[in-house]
Amino acid sequence: MKEIKIKVNDLSLHYAQKKALNEITMDIPANKVTALIGPSGCGKSTFLRCINRMNDLIPNVSITGKMLVEGIDIYDKNVDVVNIRKKIGMVFQKSNPFPKSIYENIAYGPRINGINDKSRLDEIVETSLRQAAIWDELKDRLGDSALGLSGGQQQRLCIGRTLAVNPDIILMDEPASALDPISTSKIEELIHQLKEQYTIIIVTHNMQQAARTSDHTAFFYMGSLIEMGKTNAIFTNPSQKQTEDYITGRFG
Amino acid sequence: MGTHFEIELAKLKTIIERIGLLAEGQVSEAIKVLLQEPEAAQPKVIKKTENKIDKLDVKIDEICQRIFALKQPVASDLRFIMSAMQISNEIERIGDLSISIVKKAKNIKEKHDLILKFNVADISKLVELITVKTNNCFVTREGSTIGEILILNKDIRNKCEDAIHEIVNEMKVNSKAVVSGTNLVIVLKHLERISEHCTNIAEYVYFMVNAKIIKHEKLDDILPGE
Repeated sequence: MKEIKIKVNDLSLHYAQKKALNEITMDIPANKVTALIGPSGCGKSTFLRCINRMNDLIPNVSITGKMLVEGIDIYDKNVDVVNIRKKIGMVFQKSNPFPKSIYENIAYGPRINGINDKSRLDEIVETSLRQAAIWDELKDRLGDSALGLSGGQQQRLCIGRTLAVNPDIILMDEPASALDPISTSKIEELIHQLKEQYTIIIVTHNMQQAARTSDHTAFFYMGSLIEMGKTNAIFTNPSQKQTEDYITGRFG
Repeated sequence: MGTHFEIELAKLKTIIERIGLLAEGQVSEAIKVLLQEPEAAQPKVIKKTENKIDKLDVKIDEICQRIFALKQPVASDLRFIMSAMQISNEIERIGDLSISIVKKAKNIKEKHDLILKFNVADISKLVELITVKTNNCFVTREGSTIGEILILNKDIRNKCEDAIHEIVNEMKVNSKAVVSGTNLVIVLKHLERISEHCTNIAEYVYFMVNAKIIKHEKLDDILPGE
């Protein structure tokens, strides 16, 4: 039986008076890649940001319902939101390395979490960059500025930075949309490798990417979850006509 | 007017319908030759139609390949493209079998008596009927038609087996009937194969509509009670 990492029950979100998410209920399995697809404005990025409470930073946002991560309601008032964001890392569409060296980009998170031993930090930097499949490219230039890397390298560095603080879950909001095909292919291969250790949720506009990389796919439309299932089933025989119309390009 | 992709899918459907009708015509003409009906087409006309079928079969493969490569179809579109290639292949085989029936029919001496004696006309008409139903099945995608085709195929198969059995018995006692009888057996096997190809097409239509592969399932499991 598959383990459920995140259980969402009747989650709704309002931006002031506007309802952006409508009673979302879904189970996100552990150590799998779940893709969120849907047309622009359907709520998939809003939903993604609910998982690590990034929407808390937006004024006039109200959330109802429950989001249980390993059985704990992350919106409970006793929950430490900083810890949430350590355990649930995020990679954004536009890579955002710090204006620091490659080494410092990775070491920054562990350092502010109290790890100051140089040899330990060296180990974390190497492990994280290896996991991000970029160690060989960067090992001889760790002192160089991260801003001098290519777009694809920066994005893999950002993934490495996320991994350095030992998350359980990685959220990716269109991680490859700004990258060339080869870099995209490297990111997708990396996702495939990472899911053995992490639970990954990816928002993508690219349905072929969703089909290539994910185990499960959830289709959102106008703030509602229309259908969720195994990616193979969604792309060969979706049960909802709206899903079929979207993935075949009839609308959206 | 739909999207560019929808137009392409519609064009593919039209070509399959066209090749289906050509093959249906070939079966009909082959049966006319077999039954020595006066309005049977000339061999060169039948040959010309075979060439058209072959060209359309290649065209269908080319279109499907292009769609797979460039459009990455999914869901019902994917099932349609997959089925289109298979259906075209089945139709092309029906065309080939029809040509073979025409050739073999010439070697059946005194075929009129043999055909009467072994119920070949009835079997032939059933095969004509199954090809018509198969073309309708692809066009309409109706579940009831699929069922009719599967049942009709079973009937054709049983009748062919019975006829072949009787021809073999005839050949055992009448050495003069061996050459004609052998060719008639081959013709009956061809007719049975045409019916099987029609069944395969019906199964692909079922897959297109229901997303379920039934090609190795027994008739009783697909249509309980038959």
